[in-house]
Amino acid sequence: MAKARDISRRMRSVQSTRKITRTMEMVATSKLRRAQNRVREARPFAERLTGVVENLVTPELAELEPVLRQPDRIRRAAVVLVTSNRGLCGAFNVNLIRKARELLAELQASDVETEFHVIGKKGISYFRFRNVEMASRRIDIGDSPSPEEARELIDPLAERFVQEELDAVYVVHAEFRSVMSTPPITRRLLPVYVPQERPTREPYYILDPSAEVILARLLPLHLVSSMYRALVENAAAEQGARRTAMKSATDNADEFLTTLRRQFNRARQQEITSQLAEIIGGAEALKG
Amino acid sequence: MDEASRKLKIAVISPVQVGFEGAGDSIVVPAYDGLMGILYGHAPMMTLLGTGEVTVKDGSTVHRIAVSGGFLQVVDNEVSVLAEEVGEPSSTGPGTEDAD
Repeated sequence: MAKARDISRRMRSVQSTRKITRTMEMVATSKLRRAQNRVREARPFAERLTGVVENLVTPELAELEPVLRQPDRIRRAAVVLVTSNRGLCGAFNVNLIRKARELLAELQASDVETEFHVIGKKGISYFRFRNVEMASRRIDIGDSPSPEEARELIDPLAERFVQEELDAVYVVHAEFRSVMSTPPITRRLLPVYVPQERPTREPYYILDPSAEVILARLLPLHLVSSMYRALVENAAAEQGARRTAMKSATDNADEFLTTLRRQFNRARQQEITSQLAEIIGGAEALKG
Repeated sequence: MDEASRKLKIAVISPVQVGFEGAGDSIVVPAYDGLMGILYGHAPMMTLLGTGEVTVKDGSTVHRIAVSGGFLQVVDNEVSVLAEEVGEPSSTGPGTEDAD
């Protein structure tokens, strides 16, 4: 049986850990609220833009516009993995890394030359440890990503797609469905999806200037907005995952503390009992 | 159709925020080649935007929102202004001091 004092020392340590996880839970909750707002504000733009682009694009236009190039075979592809800079968010980064590795393996199996871009310290340190070659690494994207950062990420890739140096660009990030559900997903940003079957264009749009000019302006915007959305959703998902992880850590600490307190009381009682027994024993011996 | 429902549904949004959402009688937008006004019953249209001020009139209330770049879509009396950048909206009308 452990000594009462040892148990009480342990209780103090668990208590201070609990204080830390509790604080982190509250910090994540407040950051989550802001991140959730950003996701909500980014969604209407991305959705409408996607709708418009899909409405304007025709297979004929796809042949004119280099960004809409539809390669018959994918030879070189870029994979962008978005992870977080900070840990203590449960299986969040592990899930993202697993998804990225699956995608890389899949691309390798179909003989695609792949280059790998990683955002976030957690992903970088994992792949550096595994000696996986990374074409670029970024750790400066924080809790509130900006459209400019998204542009910096996607523009060079889009440029190289146009130059036919790349045939596809994939992004692996966490989708923010709800606080509890943030599954990792793979999105293909390039080539842009072009519906082959065109429903009769209804209603008949007045296009000013022509569809080509509008598309040429909208496609870069569309790519930036898709990338921005990936970053924003990932940031929100990270806070959600951290909150869940820290909540369960706090709950575990609570549970552990109850067990420890019970052990402590028992040990203390036992100590008193044995001390009493000793005193009585000593007194009896003196009497004799 | 009664008067009250002859209103445009207007949304001015950027990638980062929803700048304005609501009803209006008319909207003036800075298109790529000059200002353009849209009233109820406008034909479906898409056009590129320049830089300037979007003016939404709703009764005697006027909302002004600065926008830059992007795109405008009109369909079924729904006007979507998808701008690259959207500034803070300001409103003038009954109950507010006219700033101009």
